[in-house]
Amino acid sequence: MKPALDYTHVRKNRNLLQWFTYKWSSEPLFSTAIALVIMVILQTLVLGFDYESFGSWLQAWTNNWINILRNNAGTGIIALGMTFVIMTGGIDLAVGSTLVLTGAFAMMLLDTGTKGFLGGIGITGFPAFAVAVIFAILAGYLLGALIGATVTKGKVPPFIATLGAMMIFRSVTQHFMQGYNPRVPMEFLEIASFRIGNYMIMPIIYWAFIAYILYYVSKRTTFGRQIIAVGSNERAARLSGVHVEKVKLRVYSLMGVLVSIAAIIQVSRIGSMDFSNAGRGVEMDAIAAAVVGGTSLSGGRGFIMGTIYGMLIIAVMNNLLNLFGVPPFLREAFKGLIVIGAVLLQKKEKTS
Amino acid sequence: MIIEMKNIRKSFGSNEVLKGVSLALQGGEICALLGENGAGKSTLMNILGGVHQLDFGSITVDGKSVEFRTPVQSQEAGIAFIHQELNLINDLPIYENMFLGRERKTKRGSLDLERMYEETEEMFKRMNVHLDPGTMVRDLDASYKQIVEICRAMMTNASVIIMDEPTTSLTDPEIERVFSMMRTLKEHNVGIIFISHKLNEVMQVCDRYFVLRDGNLVADGNVSDVTTNDLARYMVGHDVRTEPLRREKKQGAEILRVEGLTSHHTFRDISFSIKAGEIVGFTGLLGDGRSELFESIFGAVQILSGRISLNGKEVKIKNTTQAIDEGIAYLPRNRKENAIIKDMNIMENASIATWPKFSRVGIINAQKHQEIFEEQRKALKIKMENLTDSITSLSGGNQQKVVLGKWLAAGPKLLILDNPTQGVDVGAKEDIYDIILKLADDNIAVIVLSSEPQEIIRVCDRAYVMYHGVIQGDVAGETMNEHNIMSLATGGQLT
Repeated sequence: MKPALDYTHVRKNRNLLQWFTYKWSSEPLFSTAIALVIMVILQTLVLGFDYESFGSWLQAWTNNWINILRNNAGTGIIALGMTFVIMTGGIDLAVGSTLVLTGAFAMMLLDTGTKGFLGGIGITGFPAFAVAVIFAILAGYLLGALIGATVTKGKVPPFIATLGAMMIFRSVTQHFMQGYNPRVPMEFLEIASFRIGNYMIMPIIYWAFIAYILYYVSKRTTFGRQIIAVGSNERAARLSGVHVEKVKLRVYSLMGVLVSIAAIIQVSRIGSMDFSNAGRGVEMDAIAAAVVGGTSLSGGRGFIMGTIYGMLIIAVMNNLLNLFGVPPFLREAFKGLIVIGAVLLQKKEKTS
Repeated sequence: MIIEMKNIRKSFGSNEVLKGVSLALQGGEICALLGENGAGKSTLMNILGGVHQLDFGSITVDGKSVEFRTPVQSQEAGIAFIHQELNLINDLPIYENMFLGRERKTKRGSLDLERMYEETEEMFKRMNVHLDPGTMVRDLDASYKQIVEICRAMMTNASVIIMDEPTTSLTDPEIERVFSMMRTLKEHNVGIIFISHKLNEVMQVCDRYFVLRDGNLVADGNVSDVTTNDLARYMVGHDVRTEPLRREKKQGAEILRVEGLTSHHTFRDISFSIKAGEIVGFTGLLGDGRSELFESIFGAVQILSGRISLNGKEVKIKNTTQAIDEGIAYLPRNRKENAIIKDMNIMENASIATWPKFSRVGIINAQKHQEIFEEQRKALKIKMENLTDSITSLSGGNQQKVVLGKWLAAGPKLLILDNPTQGVDVGAKEDIYDIILKLADDNIAVIVLSSEPQEIIRVCDRAYVMYHGVIQGDVAGETMNEHNIMSLATGGQLT
């Protein structure tokens, strides 16, 4: 007998328009992908073709793209974790604050000045970098687990738990980092600034690598499928033997880990951090990317690929507004329009 | 008032659901609309209620031809549709619910609460309902919610009320309350279309019956001329088995022993045991605590005190994951809320409990996944197209089989089935009974929770009857009959 996974009857005998309408109505990410393609074409047109040769045009186009991707890698990584959190029916508002806290922690460890912790106990150079990275990720993991435990054991709604954590983490960081500006060793910056063939693309590689792993996790692992089950129908998931609390705890811990990776990228890109402003609003950008990518805020439905599309749409639009010379204060408004517009376009479930 | 539906046809895509159905209803008449799941009952009623449009045929009200394009048009014609999921707002009092969408306003445009309260009170008096209109709907039991919904329909001067399985989640006294309400409506010359799977109730309360099968009207007439067996035969198209199914029993070692199990409010001091290859029933009225008892044994709810032993060894089950590892499977009641994950496809729904089994370091082996499911699908005769289709595309019976298959794939030693035939048509019901018997033959200990005594008597070797959270008594063999079960379930003793 032929396996039931057979779509040939759907594919054959369709003209382009039929294929298009079929895809539009049946594939949740199709409209998002189309939107992205349109944005990219628009962006290419705006960038113009006023170059000496095709080679120099390509060079400019590529550089522009590398800039876009690199600038959004950190938020992009956070958005991936946010997708999982939202898929379980939760939300994480604390990512921006976790970012400064873990970033500050890594910087304190690395500081080349008198207060530097690792330097103080005689660890320098590559071992120090490794220790700092590992401990920052560990810190992110613990902060995430703390939020996760508040949500699962304390039964505090995720919105409240992370709202509280957002205030606490930021304020504690600001207090302890008052008047203290750790200096990060120059070599540490190589983590983000190492050049491959004259291109500074390390952050993009990290982002792509993490995206690939999480895509695989969402599609092919018990954890990934359990996330959907928990978000779609928590009670049914529990009665099917899914350890709901464990799944949620892991999702928030994973979020913490991803945020700390984003923090390390940010620290190693600029070598410093503004503890009162760094990461502010990143939670909203991450949520926006996930939502534009088709993730449902009521849980159960979400796509890692969609979130990448969503992040790119927002990023390309920022770039476009920049190229058009739209005043900075107006840009947020366009972002808002994109978020609402994308959700309007998405296939709606029947309300009845 | 007379409503006539003539030669109604309706197709969804290539699927013809109604193939020319005609029926007529008069005021002051209670008509049963019967049929298996998928026979076309809901489609027919949705056409009458204006939810769907007919492809062909006509509807006349008092001889005048009408066309219902929206539910509002149907309501204006005096037809009220009371859906299975009630449309009441729990956080508003009764009288505000009564005027939802048609609120009475004062001249200044604010809500005229006094007037709404009074009108509700008047309606309750007329309908012989003893309720305070100021009660919050949340505080009402299921039967009173049903009654409030009926009164709301009466407020809009409905002359025909369609009731879609109103009694599924009600206890016996509550059902009686709804029935007396229906009789009152009859006196007020209101016509009722009563959709139900429970044939006993049809015999009790209905005047006439219509039976649909595969989109055709196959029988109609006066209820007084037929028996429940006749009706069941019309529905399925052949004779229905009613005799006990259980044959000789070979029993193995004791699988589960429970001693003095107590929870906070729902059950207390529960002791019983079950052997391999046994089918043991648990029955009682709704709210007797049996579902909560087995959810606790399955690890979904914490237990206050008591001992659970599996295979002679005492165990503490902390969560459902552990329960599955110990060889327990639990098919919950209310499939939609407790068992179906609508964002996942058929195969995933069928395998969620067994993912760890065909995964290595958390990575799912897709091929093995599919093989296991194919095996279940054949064994359970699940009807479907693609295994990647949404679970909600299946009929109720097939959904239930998918959920059952999920547990069979786990290879349990103890299988707990809570209302396994809920919302399942007669044919699928028999399939499920066959599966249960076969499992017992394969030396699995099976516990069946059901509120239908007939089901318990047909399938089980013996049964415990619960009342208000305690085991009131147990029945087996000769003593396992409807009379004994009902008297225990209502708090009496065996005589």
